Amino acid sequence: MTPEHFLGFGLGLRTDHFQEVIDTKPKVDWFEVVSENFMVDGGKPKHYLHAIREHYPMVMHGVSLSIGSTETLNLDYLRQLKVLVNEIQPEWISDHLCWTGAHKSNSHDLLPLPYNDEAINHVVDRINQVQEFLGRNILMENVSSYLTYTTSEMSEWEFLNEVVKRSGCQILLDINNIYVSARNHNFSALDYLNGIDKGSVRQFHLAGHTDYGDYVIDTHDHDVADSVWDLYRQALQRFGWISTMIERDDNIPPLSDLLTELDMARNIARQTLGQHNCEFINNG
Amino acid sequence: MDKLTLSALQKEMMSFLLEDNKSIESHVVKQGNISKQLRLNIYKNAYQARLKEVIDNDHQMLGLYLGDDLFDKMATEYVRDFPSNYTSLRQYADRLPAFLSTQPPFSDHPIISELAHFERLLLVAFDAADAAIITRDKLQDICHDDWPNLVFHFHPSVQLAHFNWNTVESWQALKSEQAPEPATEKKSTWLLWRNNERLTEFRSLSEQELMLINMILSGENFSSLCEHLFTSSPDDDVSSLALQYLLNWLDQGILRDIT
Repeated sequence: MTPEHFLGFGLGLRTDHFQEVIDTKPKVDWFEVVSENFMVDGGKPKHYLHAIREHYPMVMHGVSLSIGSTETLNLDYLRQLKVLVNEIQPEWISDHLCWTGAHKSNSHDLLPLPYNDEAINHVVDRINQVQEFLGRNILMENVSSYLTYTTSEMSEWEFLNEVVKRSGCQILLDINNIYVSARNHNFSALDYLNGIDKGSVRQFHLAGHTDYGDYVIDTHDHDVADSVWDLYRQALQRFGWISTMIERDDNIPPLSDLLTELDMARNIARQTLGQHNCEFINNG
Repeated sequence: MDKLTLSALQKEMMSFLLEDNKSIESHVVKQGNISKQLRLNIYKNAYQARLKEVIDNDHQMLGLYLGDDLFDKMATEYVRDFPSNYTSLRQYADRLPAFLSTQPPFSDHPIISELAHFERLLLVAFDAADAAIITRDKLQDICHDDWPNLVFHFHPSVQLAHFNWNTVESWQALKSEQAPEPATEKKSTWLLWRNNERLTEFRSLSEQELMLINMILSGENFSSLCEHLFTSSPDDDVSSLALQYLLNWLDQGILRDIT
């Protein structure tokens, strides 16, 4: 049986595909939109956003919340986020468990946090503020990382569990990010999956990466790798039916290629969990 | 050694990304075959590549005009001199035209800064706020007695741009994959806007139309516009000339609805 919040299988909505989505209404159960791409006053992006929203459920995914930054929360950003939430009424809102800037400069990158009590207290306090401001709970995504700080005192999954337990947020579990970080830090991706509390995961991300041999970079410019599909099977076994989407941000292929890749996710879920309720959900 | 606080750690990481201050290295764990320097440089390379990519995406014709080497020099120096303090990358290159007007060797060729300015205005027109526009039908509904005091307003996407060089002509040549003419001094004013199909358009303005547009921007009414036409085109039929301008603006979608 699928949980109430299972949306099915979705794609990231990208500019290259706007018109084709409108014209062909492809077999996608839902779209994830990058919130910041639509924090503009008007024009084509917003026009397409609203037109596509009429036909598909949406979730909003942000990259600029900077929940782990020691700078004051950016209230202007939160206000814009809330306006967009009111406009498109997403099923949920997510951002990353990281920091993007501090001391008045922005790296525009998803920088890792040290995994220790100070960071937990800091992040939990800020998630609570954000959730209160938005009037709803949010999802936090695990990021890919390439370094570990000497001040880390626990595993990433212990850190994530504690943040979830104390803030009431839920998890957007990026399967590719687990694979990338496991390779870069030489831990077991399966230990990570098995370490995450069941019931706290609301969404999966799948994406491609670039393998440099000694290390792996989360580039989102390739198809999902076989090793990540394998990990996805393991994740399904542990967490059951979880809304799954493919995140492609560069070297964007034709929409038909992404739909084929999304069918792979559907088939893997069906093979792993059974036939139940895995058909195309969206009829509109 | 005291434990590094989260705030201090973030300060050191930003200092590494922006100023190549390497003190953060002592707070990174040595793991496996990958050196601490390589781990940190993955982030620094990503930071620089991301910002350069933004400039490249926003300024594609400028990139063609400069060629790869000069464009890379420009982007490298801009990223070095202008750390982003914006939440959105959309604004990151806003200061590029000013940078190019003062930074040699780019400042030796003022058309370069003008090209950057033109491309930023295209971006502004592209995602400016939406607003209802006046249509011919709505114009017919306006009561005859209200016309003299009618004050028009432009759609939020409308931009005016003044150039001293053959900037837009060079941009157009590059866009159509032609070599631009050599830079030459040429004063011109251009109107940019987003049309009814949400496509960005631009065209040059005559002195008379520029004056009318400036009068509208100053809040002057229709009667004043007609008086100006009467003075500047004494031999023409002012009514039909005014109507011609007005219908042209309506069809191009640059006048917002009168509420």
